[in-house]
Amino acid sequence: MTVDVKTTAGVSGIGQTGRILYDRESRETVGEPFVEGARMTCRGVNVYYGDKHAIKNVALDIGRNEVVAMIGPSGCGKSTFLRCLNRMNDTIDTCRVEGEITLDGMDIYGKEVDVVPLRAQVGMVFQKPNPFPKSIYDNVAYGPRIHGLAQNKVELDEIVETSLRKAGLWEEVKDLMTHPGTGLSGGQQQRLCIARTIAVSPEVILMDEPCSALDPIATSIIEDLIDELKQQFSIAIVTHSMQQASRVSQRTAYFHLGDLIEVGDTAQIFTTPRHQLTQDYITGRFG
Amino acid sequence: MFRKSVLIGTALIFLVSAGSVYAASARDYISIVGSSTVYPFATVVAEQFGKTTSYKTPKIESTGSGGGLKLFCAGVGVEHPDITNASRAIKKSEYDKCQKNGVKEIVEVKIGYDGIVVANSKKTAPMKLTRKDLFLALAKDVPNPKGGETLVPNPYKTWKDVNPSLPNVKIEVLGPPPTSGTRDAFVELAMEGGAKKFDWIKAMKKKDKKAYKAICHTVREDGAYVEAGENDNLIVQKLDANPNALGIFGFSFLDQNTDIIQGSFVDGVQPTFDAIADGQYPVSRPLFFYVKKAHVGVIPGIQEYLNEFTSDKAWGPDGYLSEKGMIPMPDEERAQFQSDVKALKPITMK
Amino acid sequence: MNNPSSQPNGLNPQGRRAIEIVNAGLARRYRKERRFRLYGISAILASLLFLSFLFGSIISKGYSAFQQTFIQLDIFFDPAILSQESLSTANYPGIVKQSLRQMFPEVKSRQDKRMLYRLVSSGASFQIRQMVLDSPEMIGQTLQVWVIADDDIDMLEKGHFDLEAPEGERRIKDIQLAWVDRLKKESRIEKRFNRILFTAGDSREPELAGILGAVAGSFYTLLVTLLLSFPIGIASAVYLEEFATQNRWTDLIEVNINNLAAVPSIVFGLLGLAVFLNFFGLPRSAPLVGGLVLTLMTLPTIIIASRASLQSVPPSIREAALGIGASKMQMVTHHVLPLALPGILTGTIIGMARALGESAPLLMIGMVAFIVDVPGGFTDPSTVLPVQIFLWADSPERAFVERTSAATIVLLAFLIIMNASAVYLRKKFERRW
Ligand SMILES: Nc1ncnc2c1ncn2[C@@H]1O[C@H](COP(=O)(O)OP(=O)(O)OP(=O)(O)O)[C@@H](O)[C@H]1O
Ligand SMILES: [Mg+2]
Repeated sequence: MTVDVKTTAGVSGIGQTGRILYDRESRETVGEPFVEGARMTCRGVNVYYGDKHAIKNVALDIGRNEVVAMIGPSGCGKSTFLRCLNRMNDTIDTCRVEGEITLDGMDIYGKEVDVVPLRAQVGMVFQKPNPFPKSIYDNVAYGPRIHGLAQNKVELDEIVETSLRKAGLWEEVKDLMTHPGTGLSGGQQQRLCIARTIAVSPEVILMDEPCSALDPIATSIIEDLIDELKQQFSIAIVTHSMQQASRVSQRTAYFHLGDLIEVGDTAQIFTTPRHQLTQDYITGRFG
Repeated sequence: MFRKSVLIGTALIFLVSAGSVYAASARDYISIVGSSTVYPFATVVAEQFGKTTSYKTPKIESTGSGGGLKLFCAGVGVEHPDITNASRAIKKSEYDKCQKNGVKEIVEVKIGYDGIVVANSKKTAPMKLTRKDLFLALAKDVPNPKGGETLVPNPYKTWKDVNPSLPNVKIEVLGPPPTSGTRDAFVELAMEGGAKKFDWIKAMKKKDKKAYKAICHTVREDGAYVEAGENDNLIVQKLDANPNALGIFGFSFLDQNTDIIQGSFVDGVQPTFDAIADGQYPVSRPLFFYVKKAHVGVIPGIQEYLNEFTSDKAWGPDGYLSEKGMIPMPDEERAQFQSDVKALKPITMK
Repeated sequence: MNNPSSQPNGLNPQGRRAIEIVNAGLARRYRKERRFRLYGISAILASLLFLSFLFGSIISKGYSAFQQTFIQLDIFFDPAILSQESLSTANYPGIVKQSLRQMFPEVKSRQDKRMLYRLVSSGASFQIRQMVLDSPEMIGQTLQVWVIADDDIDMLEKGHFDLEAPEGERRIKDIQLAWVDRLKKESRIEKRFNRILFTAGDSREPELAGILGAVAGSFYTLLVTLLLSFPIGIASAVYLEEFATQNRWTDLIEVNINNLAAVPSIVFGLLGLAVFLNFFGLPRSAPLVGGLVLTLMTLPTIIIASRASLQSVPPSIREAALGIGASKMQMVTHHVLPLALPGILTGTIIGMARALGESAPLLMIGMVAFIVDVPGGFTDPSTVLPVQIFLWADSPERAFVERTSAATIVLLAFLIIMNASAVYLRKKFERRW
């Protein structure tokens, strides 16, 4: 896959800053999708749902200690791509993934790879909050329990508390530990799911619109959490909020109808997009 | 879950093997199959036997005479029944099958008679029928009423059509289905008996037995004969509800329901206990059971069960079987079978 | 609501305000709804009517079987009879007859004596025998003992005989009526709760017949059925639903399972005969085989119900579990199965209830049989409740009619209990998410 600028491609217009933008018809990725010493690498990834081609030949790296934001119009394949990174798409019968995705140099779609440790390592927060119909405590404690992360009850309690604190939920639920997780409000449920994910200390965290149901206070708690997690781990976050993307991420990837259109430094993408589609999207003329 | 399935699998294998082991070991109760007509009598004996001896109560399945003989003749061994009841004598073909499967010695015990009654509701007068009337009313094809030795599809709609001395009511007879022994006996004794009154049909028996049987034994299917299932109680209830209908069933059901229904005269004789016992009533049949001699002494209690069945307090004129509606045999015949049973004299068929 | 400014100008293409059109159609919409409710209510009323008719007729026919007539006799435990032989084989009927003769000394003719003896059940002598065996010190005494009346007397007491009919056509003769009247005057006839019905096995004497044997047979049979069909059914459903990939084979299996659920039950009996009896050589008439046959019959029901209930667990729960790194097995056992369990239990109980009411397939494997001894294990010969009902319904004795209905009441009670527990379990374990 090349990222060379096709000079022959029609030059369609002049941006506000006077740069030349890539044509709307161009589907080659613009910008720099690769980084030095990447945590995860994706090469030539294609995803099909039956006959539907949902992700088209995407290459992208997720670096160490960085937050990659994925933006794009609804239905463009952000969630689909994210789910490739911890093989959640395996659970969909019709879904087929092609290409190579590695974690620390290991092909995660390799034959001998076990998805259980993979998913413990690459955690995921889903678009729709999906707490287990169990108590709040059990929701958070479930991961540590099945992986045997706590030696005893005290340790487990500790993991549960710190996870809930990090997710900004502790104060609200510390007296409700035995209440069902499904009894919380939508935003609280989402934070519970975040706590549940970080309770197993994953090294890569995939977040699919984690803040879409949260109020500004909770959102800022999560954003602080992301900042903190970034010190040790890598994070890929899907968001529809341009502000959020610019606040939390170092790099941003713009998807359009299954194509990765443009990748680059977050500041650059939002100030000087190089592709016409990117510019249309961030200026609100599209999607 | 896997552990669970493994557990279940083992349990299943265990159960099956336990069962097999069981089957291979001895059986400590008598297993009886056979006729549903004999069933009400055999069960009484079995119960009496179980309660008054230290043996277990025999198990009795009501499989029909044919079904019973099939199971009985399947072989020797604990998995096969020891005794089969029958409302007819064993056929040559069945006997041969028994021989082929190693059931060599079979003891035949005739236990008494059963009358087959044609009954109607007490709300109307009793019918005075002949066997010829029954044949003409119920056969599929009957001799041409206009004369000649030909058959026509049964044209009779009312009893008066059949016989001018009978009432002018529609022919409507509720009876057992072809699988029933009662039906077999009825067509054989009543209808065939009636058909024989036509000399040319009687003459056919010698010439063309098959055609003869077809004429005598085929019941009409145009709705005049209603198959009412094996449940004779149901027929009794239906007769009560429909005074114009007649029903066909065993004498014991008439005996138990004399306040609701009455037996029709057949050839001038009403089906009473005495009339059947002394052979006046024409539609009666003998009842039997057959004993596998090879099992006597192997399965505990067979000999004692036979003794109970052939004791006077059971099958005698005042015995408890007569109270249940079985018609006892005359004294000499009883004595004859009693001694045959004592000696376990097997039957022979050439 | 009625705010026209909620639309640009509150007008539609026909130039009328939208709310006017809505209001105009409103009456029709509500009429439709009312009509539909009416249909629904009348459908439910009709089925309730049938149900109450069914229950009414069975209960009105059967309730009297829960009582049984008893007669009080002065029994002389005659040492002359009781010391001759060993106690267990003594002439107990003789003792009963002697007592009757003493109570009615005027009865002389042989014929009349026989009728007199028929006042009490043949079970009376077994009752006396039991008393003597329990406490032999009674011998030599005269005691008043309540013994079971014959079924004809029982029917008479319950008013099932038409006494207007001429004597010759009655099972109860005038002379017997006179005796019964005398016994009544001396208050020696009494109706009591019919314990025998619940504590005895089958019998050809209606007054001695009970359902315990059949209930025990049903219990053992259903136990085998439950122990096999529940785990096998769940395992199959979980495998098909959670593990198997959807392909032609799983489609084929699914079609076959659905077909099996609709196969007439007698076919399973034939299969059981061929496989379990003829091939494996298992004993005839055994609850073990009955349970195996009914397992075959209920498995499809349980699998279908379990699959439906597994399908209704939202996929997001599965994703949540897998996303944390649960293995598929953990996902199933920790999350999906507990959520699906109420539905699975309901399906299982409904399947078991169907198995409880089944008699046709058991015919083939010899469970339609006269069995007096109450079965005590999985290989003892036994029958089941619906078969008992069938056998009693086919018995000539009048007194079996009410016992048939009584047994049906008991069967219905079991079915209601099972189905109610299905509802209860569902209510109890059902979780919302
Ligand atoms: N399970 C599925 N089966 C078939 N098609 C699917 C499935 N999931 C997603 N798709 C299709 O794949 C495409 C990408 O979907 P995806 O959920 O990745 O979009 P998205 O970018 O996350 O959108 P949104 O911002 O609305 O969440 C869509 O066209 C969608 O219809
Ligand atoms: Mg999405």
